[in-house]
Amino acid sequence: MVVQLDAVRRLLRRLLTSEVDLFVASVIIVVAVLLGVLVARVLGGLLTDAGVPDEVEGTLFERTAQRLGTSTVKLVSRLSGLFVIAVGTVFALQAAGIVNAGLLTEGLTDLIPRLFIAALVVITGLVVGDKAELVVGERLRSVKLPEANALPLLVKYSVFYIAALVALGQLGVATAALLVLLGAYVFGLVFIGGLAFKEMLSSAAAGIYLVLKEPYTIGDEVVIDGQQGIVQEVDVFVTRIESDGREFVVPNRQVFETGVVRMRN
Amino acid sequence: MSDLCDLVGDMTNGVDAVLLFGPSGSYYERAAGADLPVVVVAQENTVDAEHFVDLPLEFADVSQRIRFGLEGALENELLEEGSTALCAAKTFAEDIDSVVRVRAGEFARSGVYELFADSRAEAHIIRDVLEVAIELGKKGQKGKPVGALFVVGDAGKVMNKSRPLSYNPFEKSHVHVGDPIVNVMLKEFSRLDGAFIISDSGKIVSAYRYLEPSAEGVDIPKGLGARHMAGGAITRDTNAVSIVLSESDGLVRAFSGGQLVLELDPEDY
Repeated sequence: MVVQLDAVRRLLRRLLTSEVDLFVASVIIVVAVLLGVLVARVLGGLLTDAGVPDEVEGTLFERTAQRLGTSTVKLVSRLSGLFVIAVGTVFALQAAGIVNAGLLTEGLTDLIPRLFIAALVVITGLVVGDKAELVVGERLRSVKLPEANALPLLVKYSVFYIAALVALGQLGVATAALLVLLGAYVFGLVFIGGLAFKEMLSSAAAGIYLVLKEPYTIGDEVVIDGQQGIVQEVDVFVTRIESDGREFVVPNRQVFETGVVRMRN
Repeated sequence: MSDLCDLVGDMTNGVDAVLLFGPSGSYYERAAGADLPVVVVAQENTVDAEHFVDLPLEFADVSQRIRFGLEGALENELLEEGSTALCAAKTFAEDIDSVVRVRAGEFARSGVYELFADSRAEAHIIRDVLEVAIELGKKGQKGKPVGALFVVGDAGKVMNKSRPLSYNPFEKSHVHVGDPIVNVMLKEFSRLDGAFIISDSGKIVSAYRYLEPSAEGVDIPKGLGARHMAGGAITRDTNAVSIVLSESDGLVRAFSGGQLVLELDPEDY
């Protein structure tokens, strides 16, 4: 017993004097590993509590992960744990003086967080893109048009594209050309969308006033743009007026352009 | 035992179609293998059936459910007038436990399917109003039974055939039936007399309306009061449907085209 204690004391003394660097390095590694495991655990629990597994359910990424015997939450939390351990290892290497400080480590400490963020962005992009496709597809399910099927795909690849752009940007790859493409795409979307929805937007703007102020209401007899009838419905986009079994669906834009005559009797 | 099988076998002999009410997937598969046209009647088409009738309300009364399914199948021409249908439905258990053999067209059409499918207002609006009426009938106002009258659809015309009894609490408000707050609001406002008027899209247009239709030639069962008479008559004068909760017997009745088409007991739901 005494001999053993003595041996431990001698070892400690040697470590703390002549090989203190090595000792500190190994302590850092141990702490980093513990911290990494802890981070992975806590993050996994937090993500599960936040309902992430339900949200990502059914996406392609999650299904692929399931097939490989893991899950999105596990992957993300493990990745975070690994990141902590990797950072710890770099510090340890520096402390031990094994690698030349300033040469390799500077590049490494710079690269590791970037790699980590890029990986996270790619995972998030894949999951969000798939999820967006599912949600949009669900909303359009009642519309049985072949053209409507293109929309979810468009949404999915737009999200993928932006995720890829951010990830590549993190890694320091030149993305100027891709950015220009994105700019052209967004501009096209806004410009053409604005043109296409011009009428609807102005109707909606007029409709908000009509719905809030109710200058005429259901049951009133009105004349709008030469059409006389009883108001049956006022919503944000259109006003429905009806007379003798004929229903006029008048865009609210028209109400503002031509004005309304209310028939009082 | 073989006598029993013969007895039950007589039920299935010469059947032209099978109506399944809320079947499970495996039940549907087995019925589909029987080489007869199969029509599924349920609230949701969970089994991906080819012929499907949308059941807007889980009718507690089996005969009402079957009547709705048959009228829906006839209307959609899934079933021919006069053909014999075998109806499999749930009565007591959680899965299908009873089989009824009916000749379609054997009974007078009540128009309960048209009430939902062919009304101006959409089926889910009418279902929501029915649910509100059922809820109101079950709970009453502070434990006392209340009556209520809802006129759904064709609101512009109904407004012109009625006059206000009091200020309209729903003026400039945008409340739709089915909003969670509606149950509470309607319960409060049902204290005062008069009808609720609901538009095609489910917007509550007005409360406290006194209906002034001409009640000429309206044929509703004897013994029902002025509220039912007004509710029935307005549906003859306009294209609305009306849903009436009786204060005296607590039943919910629906009128369309001046006719009584549906009678429900809120206690069953």
